[in-house]
Amino acid sequence: MEEELRIGVFVCKCGSNIAGALDVEGLAEYASTLPDVVYAPWNLYTCADAGLDEIKKGIKEHNLNRVVVASCSPRTHEPLFRSVCEEAGMNPYLFEMVNIRDQCSWVHQDKSLAESSMAKARDLIRMGAAKAALLKPQEIIVSGVEVKALVIGGGIAGLTAAISLGNRGFPVILLEKEKELGGMLRSLYKLAPMDADASEVINAKIKEAEDHPNIEIYTGATIEKVEGFIGKFDVTFSANGTSKDVRLGVVIIATGAGNLVPEGMYGYDGEKVITQWELEERFKAGKVDANNVVIIQCVGARSPERQYCSRICCAIGIKNAILIKEMNPEAKVHILYRDLMMYGVENEDQLRKAKELGVRFVKYDPKQPPVVEENKVTVFHQLMGTELEIPQDMVVLSTPLVGTEDGVKVGNLFRAGLDKNKFFLEAHVKLRPLDCGTDGIFICGSAHYPKDVRESIMQALGAASRASIPLSQGEVKIEPIVTCLVDKDACRGCGLCVALCPYNALEITTTDEGRKVNVITVACKGCGVCAATCYRHALTINSFTDDQMEAQIHSFMAA
Amino acid sequence: MCTGRMDPAVMADAFVHGLDGLLVLGCLFGECHYVTGNFNASHKVNMTKEMLAYAGMNPGRLSFRNLSSAEADVFVKHVTDFSKEIRDLGPLGGEADKFPLPKLKEKLEIARISLAGPKLRWVVGKKPVFIETGNKYHEIFTEHEINRTLSGIVIDEMATHSILAALQKKPASVKELAKDLEIPPPETLKYVLGLKRRGFLELESVQDHSPLYKYVEQEA
Repeated sequence: MEEELRIGVFVCKCGSNIAGALDVEGLAEYASTLPDVVYAPWNLYTCADAGLDEIKKGIKEHNLNRVVVASCSPRTHEPLFRSVCEEAGMNPYLFEMVNIRDQCSWVHQDKSLAESSMAKARDLIRMGAAKAALLKPQEIIVSGVEVKALVIGGGIAGLTAAISLGNRGFPVILLEKEKELGGMLRSLYKLAPMDADASEVINAKIKEAEDHPNIEIYTGATIEKVEGFIGKFDVTFSANGTSKDVRLGVVIIATGAGNLVPEGMYGYDGEKVITQWELEERFKAGKVDANNVVIIQCVGARSPERQYCSRICCAIGIKNAILIKEMNPEAKVHILYRDLMMYGVENEDQLRKAKELGVRFVKYDPKQPPVVEENKVTVFHQLMGTELEIPQDMVVLSTPLVGTEDGVKVGNLFRAGLDKNKFFLEAHVKLRPLDCGTDGIFICGSAHYPKDVRESIMQALGAASRASIPLSQGEVKIEPIVTCLVDKDACRGCGLCVALCPYNALEITTTDEGRKVNVITVACKGCGVCAATCYRHALTINSFTDDQMEAQIHSFMAA
Repeated sequence: MCTGRMDPAVMADAFVHGLDGLLVLGCLFGECHYVTGNFNASHKVNMTKEMLAYAGMNPGRLSFRNLSSAEADVFVKHVTDFSKEIRDLGPLGGEADKFPLPKLKEKLEIARISLAGPKLRWVVGKKPVFIETGNKYHEIFTEHEINRTLSGIVIDEMATHSILAALQKKPASVKELAKDLEIPPPETLKYVLGLKRRGFLELESVQDHSPLYKYVEQEA
């Protein structure tokens, strides 16, 4: 028997975030006129305790069987509202969220267009209620977890993550593409700002990992194939000529970053004009002998091709300037910069120290970049407004860390997204900064974006901590936002959908009623390609059925 | 959900209900959050666009564009540009389209039925497979070849479903159908005979030496 629909719509003011641009009380009143809506209050903050209590109270007192919250982004708040509905005895998947903050009040602040913003908010709420009416209860999917972790990359971040997981008692496989562990730190001299010796830091980590009973290390490794999903990743990799198949529960990506080689910039030749990385190598070899050093910051960074700031180069430039000054107090060191990012407590101290030691700072304009010539650098000093000629016998270019092709390859294999600079993207910048978009995959170190050693270690410990949640729980709960075969009779087992599924989540099986498609729900990510393809309309995804989408469209057009 | 979820029939349904413009925004090619979903989406949107344009709608009303989720400025640009393009086209069924309302909506409904049907869905569904790995005999097709096939099916499906829709209302002769639906009579005869052979139509009566055909109710 069809139960009577009783929809509750809760409209949130979000303080002034929504109420500043929209008449929330008017929207609540409008919501109460929509079909099947029996209760439509507004809240100051629906996500605060008072607001959540109102949802629970509303469900009980008004006997609601569908709840719509018109507030902020489902990315941040849907889980909270769902759990509240569940506490009040409702199936959490009978909840629908409407985003009138990010998609309306924030982007339509213009008071002169207030009526159009209101019309859009009304449209969004009406569409949400129309979809809510067609929601069906769903059950969470539970799947087992293989208690074993994979860490990709044997630099400081990967080693730290592997050791941390190993210390928690989880078996770890650590893969490194190079013949030796250690990554970028192997070629560095001293680390800013503590003046720690880079090789001491990394060698201690390498030893700890190598001696660890829970860590299996493979160097010279490449990943060949990845299948599966959180809890059951099946990875094939080869190391030193042999291929190996392993099943893993979670994956930590710590593939690091590369150095930009500034070919064709400022007369770069690797001899007299070198990068900071080459300077580090010379420091290590004890071969720095220059009296007039010019360091140019932001070489190839914050430019049209690479718009990001590599953020660690200012600290590196200043650290190396100090090292030169300490070795040879007579040396003249100039740092040509655009802006100085000496964030935090110690970095700022370093800047002060460099100034005390007599390092000269010259601000240049990227529109009038310095010109490097034989024995001198000419630069327009932006703050003094004059052109300077600085004698030089060594020019050091501070180039950014860049994303790598290896990172792209790993990203593609694990379906972890990267940005246009080939750095891995987190699932949410603020709320899930250590997780990749794909469940069970975590990220740390400079593969994420340029980081110094301390930050890489912090993130690695965080990622290991995140990764140990499914490992210690032994099972994962998966949102039932997946494909389902709604009409088994309609399915002809043609396999059209199987060929298009990017996650191998569909297979054709032979049943008593003939060939039928079977959905491997834990592998399904709910993209819906199969549902849009099926010529028999037998498949759908339970979060966005054709009926629900059409109801939203029809309700939108009914304005 | 991915743009790959965009069902051609659902897109057409939106226009049948009077939508003036539909912008599908997907990830950059090669950077899809769902691996290949945006390629599937672009194939489906392009096919839908062709079908709806053949039905008389201005193809500018449906567009597929790409951006990365980190590009707020690009999103604003796409939405602003598209809004202006649609404002310039005016409401559905205006001068920008081939037919006024309600005739355009009737035509779009025929297009929707075609897009929900097996023929177009099979070919567009097989398109990525045929382009990349080829058919069962490992023959790889070019995108151009598949698109040409799709264009042919678009014309056939529009005619077939127009005839079925007309005959569901009342029986008619080939001559009447050809005149009403603006399909050349020899073509109309070909489609009618094909439908009759497949059991969709049967002879109702003969009037003035012309056979009248009627629609046969289909079992689900």
